[in-house]
Amino acid sequence: MKPAPFRYVRARSVDDAVAALARDPEAKLLAGGQSLIAMMNVRAVKPETLVDINALSALDYIKVKDGGIAIGAMTRHETVKSSPLVAEHCPLLAEAYHWIAHRAVRNRGTYGGNLCHADPASENPAVALVTGATMVLKSAKGERTVAADDFFKGVYQTAARHDELLIEVRIPSRPKGQGWGFMEVSPRKGDFAMTAVVCTLELAGATVKTARVAYAGIADRAMRFAPVEAALTGKPANEATFAAAGAAARKAINPSSDFHADEAMRRDLAETLTRRVLAAAKARCT
Amino acid sequence: MAQNRGHIPKSRQREKPREGLKYIGKSMKRVEDPRILTGRGIYADDINLPDMAHVAIVRSSHAHARIKRIDTSKAEKLPGVLAVLTGAQAAELTGPLPTWSSPPVFQRVIAHEKVRHVGEAVAAVCAESRYIAEDACDLIEVEYEPLPIVVDPEEALKSRGDAVLHPDHGDTNLILESKFDFGPVAEDFARADHVVKRRLRWPRSGGTPMETNGATAVWDPGSQRFTIHANTSMYNFVGWMIADTLKVPHHKLNIVPTLAGGSFGAKLFLYKQPVMAAMFAKLVGRPVKYLEDRLDASLNNDAHASDRVYYVELACKKDGTLLSFKQRIIDDYGAYFQYGVGQHGNALAQVVGAYAINSVGVHVQAVLTNKNQQGAYRGFGSEVANFVIERLVDAAADELKLDRIEIRRKNFIKKDQFPFLIPTGNMYDSGDYEKVLDETLKLLDYKGWKKKVEEMRKAGRYVGIGIASTQERSVFSSTEFWMWNLDGKIGWTSSPDSMSLKIDPRGRIYGTLHSPFWGNSPETVATQVIAEQFQVDPSNIEITYSDSDKGLHSTGPGGSRFTVMVTGAIVGAAAILKKKIFKIAAHMMEANADDLELRDGNVVVKGAPGKKVSLQDLAFHAYYMRLSMPDPEDPELTSGLDATYVYDHPVTTLPDPKREHMGIFYPIMGHMCHSMVVEVDPETGQFKFLDYACVHDSGVMINPMTLEGHMRGGVVNGIGSAASEQYFYDKNGQPTNNLFTDYIIPSISESPADMKCGHVETPSPFTEYGIKGGGEGGRMGTPPALAQAIEDALSPFGIKITELPLTQNVIRRLVREAQAKKAAD
Amino acid sequence: MSNEKITITVNGKRYDKEVEPRRLLSDFIRDDLRLTGTHVGCEHGVCGSCTVLMNGKSVRSCLTFAVMADGAEIMTIEGLGTAENMHPLQKGFWEKHGLQCGFCTPGMLMTAVELLKEKPRPSVDEIREALSGNLCRCTGYQTIVESIQRGAEIMQGGK
Ligand SMILES: Cc1cc2nc3c(=O)[nH]c(=O)nc-3n(C[C@H](O)[C@H](O)[C@H](O)COP(=O)(O)OP(=O)(O)OC[C@H]3O[C@@H](n4cnc5c(N)ncnc54)[C@H](O)[C@@H]3O)c2cc1C
Ligand code: FES
Ligand code: FES
Repeated sequence: MKPAPFRYVRARSVDDAVAALARDPEAKLLAGGQSLIAMMNVRAVKPETLVDINALSALDYIKVKDGGIAIGAMTRHETVKSSPLVAEHCPLLAEAYHWIAHRAVRNRGTYGGNLCHADPASENPAVALVTGATMVLKSAKGERTVAADDFFKGVYQTAARHDELLIEVRIPSRPKGQGWGFMEVSPRKGDFAMTAVVCTLELAGATVKTARVAYAGIADRAMRFAPVEAALTGKPANEATFAAAGAAARKAINPSSDFHADEAMRRDLAETLTRRVLAAAKARCT
Repeated sequence: MAQNRGHIPKSRQREKPREGLKYIGKSMKRVEDPRILTGRGIYADDINLPDMAHVAIVRSSHAHARIKRIDTSKAEKLPGVLAVLTGAQAAELTGPLPTWSSPPVFQRVIAHEKVRHVGEAVAAVCAESRYIAEDACDLIEVEYEPLPIVVDPEEALKSRGDAVLHPDHGDTNLILESKFDFGPVAEDFARADHVVKRRLRWPRSGGTPMETNGATAVWDPGSQRFTIHANTSMYNFVGWMIADTLKVPHHKLNIVPTLAGGSFGAKLFLYKQPVMAAMFAKLVGRPVKYLEDRLDASLNNDAHASDRVYYVELACKKDGTLLSFKQRIIDDYGAYFQYGVGQHGNALAQVVGAYAINSVGVHVQAVLTNKNQQGAYRGFGSEVANFVIERLVDAAADELKLDRIEIRRKNFIKKDQFPFLIPTGNMYDSGDYEKVLDETLKLLDYKGWKKKVEEMRKAGRYVGIGIASTQERSVFSSTEFWMWNLDGKIGWTSSPDSMSLKIDPRGRIYGTLHSPFWGNSPETVATQVIAEQFQVDPSNIEITYSDSDKGLHSTGPGGSRFTVMVTGAIVGAAAILKKKIFKIAAHMMEANADDLELRDGNVVVKGAPGKKVSLQDLAFHAYYMRLSMPDPEDPELTSGLDATYVYDHPVTTLPDPKREHMGIFYPIMGHMCHSMVVEVDPETGQFKFLDYACVHDSGVMINPMTLEGHMRGGVVNGIGSAASEQYFYDKNGQPTNNLFTDYIIPSISESPADMKCGHVETPSPFTEYGIKGGGEGGRMGTPPALAQAIEDALSPFGIKITELPLTQNVIRRLVREAQAKKAAD
Repeated sequence: MSNEKITITVNGKRYDKEVEPRRLLSDFIRDDLRLTGTHVGCEHGVCGSCTVLMNGKSVRSCLTFAVMADGAEIMTIEGLGTAENMHPLQKGFWEKHGLQCGFCTPGMLMTAVELLKEKPRPSVDEIREALSGNLCRCTGYQTIVESIQRGAEIMQGGK
């Protein structure tokens, strides 16, 4: 299990990196390597050129910006996990990190690399969906932003073009009073999700004002489902409504079967976890 | 008419179990540890020889196919490639791999003509580095002609024509079928009030140690010899078989063991890796390493474990008395059959569990399918027997409305009934199952938990208790491997272990083990026994390992035999040495040899502690003062102080020629009671341990700390087998989880945080000091206890657990099906 | 695919080497530097046997290219202590039987070094969390937890 040979380019700056991508259509970015190198070791991928962006410390930051936080793409998982800013502005992200990988993997793996890897069973894409995150992409031609809702396209597929580097992720701060929840079932702690359900919930009195619910592990990418959120908006924030949302989730998703969970299991989990995660979120609506 | 169950030979025990031992029974820190803890232990991949080359294999992507064409030309041209071999070429250089099945099912180091499972080697490359070897593998083109694929073991019974894996064994994948009735099965069923029937499914898992198997081979053209470094066991038992495969005279092969990073059976006997490395070493004229990578290890290692379907019936009386037990077993061996049905011999060693069941009917159908071959895994098939009998006893309790614990008590073989011959003819040497059960219930606080569980259930929680009283046969005899063969030929009956002892001129003691370290504590065990035998401080003892050149007849660890066997060998060698020591000391002190004993590094005269000679002075005398011996001609007083001893199996007998019984082949019977409390989430299928307590009886303990280590580690292996591990093949014979990402070995998060361990010591009357083997009981008993606990927790749904592993997916499916059934009713 | 020149300090010793970019840090440490105490169990990041410290932080050496460690300080099990002078954690593992085959042990130890640096007196839960990514097939983990507690105690000057 050794990787195939590749050309190695060490980017010294963001411009360096995007220039390298523009130059070489076969180039692939190497961030923490915690997904990429594992896939290279089994030769599931054999990139011809790797552009190592680990020297881009300029992309390693977490700061408050425009009513939210901005996380540089090269911020390591562990930094995000333990960040007081993240805990304050996006407690859902901090919570999700209890489920993501293990310390040594988080020491190297980056937040940006994780989102760009777009594993369908990965937690962070689902969190990005419900928090309304925005991805800032940069290429030699310039910068553009893509909403999380438009970013995840399929298994290991995102809206980032080959020549684009994700440089920053912007997440709006949790509105006051917004509750959140994260629940997951995985074969082992720290494994990718069999099914994970993530939500935010805002109430107007006893009624659901807005709810966003996203799923990981049930399709080719993290997804939200209109019927689930419709079953919540404007409805009384109670068990019956949450159960209805769960039932809607069961119907809305179209999961496949694998060794760990068959289709029925994933539907069951989507329903149960939806109900539970909403109840947990409600308890946090303060 | 009483059944002929065979006879029990007289005990050869010399060292009686007794109080007041100084080193045996102490939790001494391990002598293996300092070098391992500082990163200086040498494991298989740590062998680095000058000019060493590396091998990688091309693994078949097909489950069953004819190899039509292989093009290696591009690979051969890649710079750094030294040699490429296909199956056809390898078949000229090497013979078939060793096998114990009869008639043999031949397997080759590289598949020839046909591939029979995904992952089987179809070609191999030797190159300057493993990286280049893998690059070259990518350049090899193989054209396959697909053949029908056999995956389901019951379907395999019907295979004909091209679906047959080894047509030279007939037009069937049923490679072996045996039927035995031990005792009056029909009569016992006729007098039953009730018969419990089940179909049980035990899934294919594997020992899957953290270190893979590997070998580094050197060919010396001068002496025309191979030297192979490998993390193998059994190299002093059957290592010579590799020479046959390599087509060299047996004395032209030396196998040198390295440390093994765990085995659990997977390294019982390495043949593929040594042969692969040696074949290339001779071909390219350089040292060659072949280390399985993780993919090789899960796809092509010949060490998947039992994969069985059971159709079982248990005959009982209304009062819960168990009478007889019938089983039909279909066992999926994968594509080859190296060990024959040794795993079923193993199961028959303890097929009736801890119970006095009068008769047993066994019908085994071993089938071949397009999967990686079965080998050994901690329990070697008898962990399955524990699962089956314990599940049936639970089922009997339920159907007869009896308490699950009381039905066990009622049927236990009682402590005064030992040694006890079970219907299959194997002997249980000693035991006290009630005591172990009682201690377990105490350790768990069973009564306290019963109450708590009631309350938790009232609060809507799904909590259950599981208890299993399981057997742990130890110290196999080689009859296990062939007694099924009905061709009338007598097979091997020896399975000894050996020890070489030397006391140097300065009184230091050297012990040479003839079997390897494979994750257990052989050096510590040997040190403690030697210290006890000679009453010397352990710091004066050094333990090393022989290679096969210098090796004595030794079966090696496996089947929990090491501690018993090596202790026997040490006692034997020490007896020879002590006789000489006392003779010399008697001369030096002018005392009577019969009045002497060893104490604190000295030979002393009993009752006269002032009169002594140190072992150091005595050794010096023995080495250099030949002419001042009492009788310079005495052949027992040749210069020096050394002895070797080959210790044969302590108690084994031949199978009955008509197979009315199997003889005694696995008689040193340990016992372990597992108990646990689990909470299940029926909506997600998850469960967690609220408590775990187990009590082990493996006779007299040499080192309680290391023994307990085996219990703890074994339990977590058992949790894996019961709840998460499975080498799964889809209907196309494609393995779905060959990486650690998907083959779910329990991590710390899935393991009990506070496992309580207890010990009972029922000495064996047959082994030295009354020791029994204790390496496997952990894994062998967890699965039935966990199944019972989850079944108990989910009792409101009326679920019956008949299959493993109990993944979240399976638990949830069982609940879903129960809910649907309830809704339909 | 030209080789890269790298400078890596391992256990306090500086190495200037040329490596293929694809060379895994695990192979670099084990084969190029002959420090075979770091073990390789899976080569896809799951078992944790290969864990070393890179600039003081635990990393999977099988999921790191040696070129990525250019300029870094690496610490492996060989840098912890010697048989005559063991590190408190090594003593803890020895006393509490925190190892059997010893294959996972280097990874366990390096993970524990990082933990104790941050939490000199970790709770059982904190230890369990820290070890969640290190598989051990032999011990059942509980004695490893006890070993780390014991190591912490020795480090704090306990006997
Ligand atoms: C044992 C283990 C357990 C794990 N468990 C989990 C888990 O529970 N949940 C989970 O989500 N993940 C898990 N992971 C994966 C981990 O989170 C990875 O770190 C992450 O997926 C990738 O981040 P990276 O920085 O390592 O990216 P890399 O592996 O370097 O790259 C991943 C991909 O993203 C691309 N990429 C990287 N950075 C950028 C960028 N800035 N712009 C554009 N493209 C980029 C790369 O080209 C590559 O295709 C686990 C990994 C391991 C080894
Ligand atoms: S070898 Fe690196 S994690 Fe397993
Ligand atoms: S001690 Fe063997 S894997 Fe941990």
